[in-house]
Amino acid sequence: MSEFSLYLLQQLINGLTIGSTYALIAIGYTMVYGIIGMINFAHGEIYMIGSYVTFIVIAGLLGMGMVSLPIILIIALVVAMFIASTYGWTIERVAYRPLRGSNRLIPLISAIGMSIFLQNFVVLSQGSRDVALPPQITGGWNFGDPSVFEVSLSYMQVLIFIITFISMTLLTLFISRSRMGRACRACSEDLGMTNLLGIDTNKIIALTFIVGAALAAIAGLLLGLYYGVVNPFVGFIAGLKAFTAAVLGGIGSIPGAVLGGLILGVTEAMTSAFFPSEYKDVVSFGLLVLILLFRPSGLLGKPEVEKV
Amino acid sequence: MNQFRKTLLGLSTAVCIMGLTAAAQADTLKIALAGPATGPVAQYGDMQKIGVMAAIDDINKAGGVNGMMLEGVIYDDACDPKQAVAVANKIVNDGITQVVGHLCSSSTEPAADIYEEEGVLMITAASTSPSITEKGYQMVFRTIGLDSLQGSMAAQYILNTAKPARVAVIHDKQQYGEGLATAVRDQLAENGVKAVMFEGVTPGDKDFSALIAKLKKENVDFVYYGGYHPELGLILRQSAEKGFNAQFMGPEGVVNSDLAKIAGDAAEGVLATAPKSFDQNPVNEARVAAIKAKGEDPTGPFVFTAYAAVEVMTDAMEATKSTDSEALADYIRSHDFDTAIGKVKYDEKGDLTESTFLVYRLHKDGSKTPAE
Repeated sequence: MSEFSLYLLQQLINGLTIGSTYALIAIGYTMVYGIIGMINFAHGEIYMIGSYVTFIVIAGLLGMGMVSLPIILIIALVVAMFIASTYGWTIERVAYRPLRGSNRLIPLISAIGMSIFLQNFVVLSQGSRDVALPPQITGGWNFGDPSVFEVSLSYMQVLIFIITFISMTLLTLFISRSRMGRACRACSEDLGMTNLLGIDTNKIIALTFIVGAALAAIAGLLLGLYYGVVNPFVGFIAGLKAFTAAVLGGIGSIPGAVLGGLILGVTEAMTSAFFPSEYKDVVSFGLLVLILLFRPSGLLGKPEVEKV
Repeated sequence: MNQFRKTLLGLSTAVCIMGLTAAAQADTLKIALAGPATGPVAQYGDMQKIGVMAAIDDINKAGGVNGMMLEGVIYDDACDPKQAVAVANKIVNDGITQVVGHLCSSSTEPAADIYEEEGVLMITAASTSPSITEKGYQMVFRTIGLDSLQGSMAAQYILNTAKPARVAVIHDKQQYGEGLATAVRDQLAENGVKAVMFEGVTPGDKDFSALIAKLKKENVDFVYYGGYHPELGLILRQSAEKGFNAQFMGPEGVVNSDLAKIAGDAAEGVLATAPKSFDQNPVNEARVAAIKAKGEDPTGPFVFTAYAAVEVMTDAMEATKSTDSEALADYIRSHDFDTAIGKVKYDEKGDLTESTFLVYRLHKDGSKTPAE
């Protein structure tokens, strides 16, 4: 293969890696929006908390002398998902449920407040500095002629693809096959009617927050391991990017969030590849504006029908 | 009547308390310490704090200045220009007239404006951007050299010692980092070495894989990075993972043991320009021992520049027998000082007439040694 195509392949791998984690976070935004029509701005903070929990658990287990990496990672994942879900549920219970039925703007403000609260809570309890974790999963495959251009695909990137793929599959199965999933879909179609039909919608909404938070925790673990650094402010930028991905793909649509995440990630990588990398955000947000101009409901979103 | 009495009592108590605090204030002199105490570059704020507090302790032990005890008051600007302005106003409102700080050049510049206007003496121990002293300020000084100096030192090292085949210059788009990167690029170009890439990254970004692939494609073998350690640390770490093995070089903003914490083994051998290691100077042996005795680290690049900033202030106070900032500024401009960083002498702009940066090689345990 020529240098150009190898380079393109490398940037595609980079873009898909970051895109799949955007997708994992974006699902949390899109599920909540799909059901109660609000943007949960505190979602990025849940991702950040997931990363912190992962770091604490891994450092703790390594300190206790545990050596088996897969077991450490599984324990970290379970703990991070559990704690993040607890936060997700609590946020919904404390900050959103009491405001349900009020003007749409009010829960939005409450969400922004929650986001600021969580960020500062972590600053106060964990300090505001970067916390670093030494690389846990190192190495990878290299292919292509080293004298032309060597493409590297690290084990960590492969792990990100695999875990993202498994999570998406499980989520799709859950939404399309399970009783709870069916209730979720019903809620997203018509919350009031579902309630009348005897489904406890409060429970379903709480469940949505729990599932979204668990996925954000998975992203927190993966990106925490990949970059090895976390600070209380990572949630803001990650949340913004994931929100963009959700809007790009059509907010409210789960496949849309995945597609939006991947498109955003690949766009960023390709922009940095052929233009100075400071233009990366300009191009990705420019793309968002363009898509919203021509397809206001996003790539896979359904146009909102005014309910009478 | 009763009500009136209560009010009177309250008023007189308040007056008493105010009188008491005024009396207590008479023998302490507050020095504001402005810099990041929180945020991603708080480590540098710590270095400044260690230096200033050590200087204050030493001076107080020796009987203070003009019979007054010094007290350091910390103000946190989080290295954020907006917060720096708020902090500067707060310092003015609190009636403090001597400031050591700020730290990040982008914070120091807007804050300096306020100090100049309000007649507050400011000595920065860490801001190296030349534009800070270019506005003809009377109250603003430094105890550290300029970027132009540091940039040319880096460029000279690249040209004469490292002699790489293909150089890339990367920066973080902030005043400090981009200023340095531009200085290095220009100086290289003057000597016939054209940087194959000159690009900015976004501070706070975590993913540099696209940038690294590009560096790899351009066959770059030397990268100069203008910016701070959180981004460089990640660039190093991700470069190692992607098999990109160029020599990296940075300014004193990357000299920090956290670089090694973030980058791990990849931090070994990174080059950096930094103020001379004043902690290695035998003159400072007692000061280093005192800092170590408090369990703090004396090796940071800004520890002794901050120490010297306090020394310059207090020497001027003793010589002029006053705390009037304008008298102090005049004195500082026209006299020499013997400090922990050696002889200090100022030019009209408030910059050091001479200052020494050295090229260091950083190690994965967080230490540094002079580069060969």
